[in-house]
Amino acid sequence: MIPQWTLLLATAAVEEVAEKGKLFDFDATLPLMAIQIVVLVLVLDKLFYTPLGKVLDDRDEYIRGGLSTAKARLAEAEALKTQYEKELAETRRESNTVIVTAKAEAKKIADGQIAETQQAAQVQREQAQQEIDKQKQSAFTALEPQIEALSRQILTKLLGAELVK
Amino acid sequence: MNPTVAAASVIAAALAVGLAAIGPGIGQGTAAGSAVEGIARQPEAEGKIRGTLLLSLAFMESLTIYGLVVALILLFANPFA
Amino acid sequence: MHMLDGLNIINPLPLAALEVGHHLYWRVGGLQLHGQVFLTSWFVIGLLLIAAIAAGRNVQRIPSGIQNLMEFALEFIRNLTKEHIGEKEYRPWVPFIGTLFLFIFVSNWSGALLPWKLIHLPAGELAAPTGDINTTVALALLTSLAYFYAGFRKRGLGYLAKYLEPQPFLLPINILEDFTKPLSLSFRLFGNILADELVVGVLVLLVPFIVPMPVMLLGLFTSAIQALVFATLAAVYIGEAIEGHGGHEEEH
Repeated sequence: MIPQWTLLLATAAVEEVAEKGKLFDFDATLPLMAIQIVVLVLVLDKLFYTPLGKVLDDRDEYIRGGLSTAKARLAEAEALKTQYEKELAETRRESNTVIVTAKAEAKKIADGQIAETQQAAQVQREQAQQEIDKQKQSAFTALEPQIEALSRQILTKLLGAELVK
Repeated sequence: MNPTVAAASVIAAALAVGLAAIGPGIGQGTAAGSAVEGIARQPEAEGKIRGTLLLSLAFMESLTIYGLVVALILLFANPFA
Repeated sequence: MHMLDGLNIINPLPLAALEVGHHLYWRVGGLQLHGQVFLTSWFVIGLLLIAAIAAGRNVQRIPSGIQNLMEFALEFIRNLTKEHIGEKEYRPWVPFIGTLFLFIFVSNWSGALLPWKLIHLPAGELAAPTGDINTTVALALLTSLAYFYAGFRKRGLGYLAKYLEPQPFLLPINILEDFTKPLSLSFRLFGNILADELVVGVLVLLVPFIVPMPVMLLGLFTSAIQALVFATLAAVYIGEAIEGHGGHEEEH
């Protein structure tokens, strides 16, 4: 009979025990344990692996579906954005041309008015000049006999009356 | 039990564990060193390297455990007792 | 072994006795069972069932609470299975790989976290079910059956052709592999869990306070990694059987 060794303290104190017992003791535990495990596999398959696996798969599917719709929506939004941007650019260009034409028109009008005014001023100035010239002329013609008389007077005063004749 | 057999068994058990620890010890050292080198070279692969290292360390460790099993057989289920 | 009797100090702490190889034997119709393994495995299975029922009872599109946790676990298992079996074939294997992972993981952590030793049994003591060789061999044999089933279902008798790959003279090694796979799977898990328990037990015997804490944390870590390793290897073997040799890293 194989003696039972009992380890007490680290020094492996050994004593003989009447009770039968060993480390490598194969008996009916082995097949029964195997059957137990197989049953456990089947039961856990029903209770655990199948339902939870289904949940995992469903969630994967759900997330994948959500992802794809989100991607589609993102693409849609992207398309809308580019369209809006295009429209915005178009509008900006249009407004630019409107501004440019308006500016040009305003300039033309302003230029015309300035030219007109300048012309009118020119005309008035010329008229004034002519008036001045005319008056100067008339003044000169009016002063001519007086100058004659005055210079004769001066001469008589200086040279005497007899010399003047 | 025959005292000679008992003495021989105890010595054999000690040798079984002791000798079985040498090879795996060297192997584990080499493996760990290589793993550290790998991590230093590629820090982003650390998780994968660590997992593989632990698994291979367990394999090497089991070699020592085989020695230990032999020692336990000699001590507790000695076929010659 | 009377020569060591002088060293046999009576242990003052009831929590710290270290027992290996004691079992609580049940006899059911001439069959011999390890009672403590079944007790803890029922606890683990009950925990898993409660979590599964709580998570699957009222499923929502936006998860919360336990559903969140279990969905995280399921997603993790699915990724693991997908990575090793392939996108096309992985779905039917998720329950098997996932149950292996969850059962081993919860077993390991229950062994490391719960103070089973407070419950006294007539013989043996409660511990992680994966610390018993029967459980791990059962799991490993189920894995072997699973990959045989996968191979034969996918490729029919053509599955046997893989024993002649890559060279016919490798036939004995290929056949041997079918034995070493469950052997290494079961011994790795068994050894790791038992080693954790022994190391923590010895340390608790020596220093009952604080000092064993880091080792316990390491034990939690290795327990989780071992569950991952077992599930990963099972997935790798099944994937290999489905798509033939090569393409996956071959474990020693």
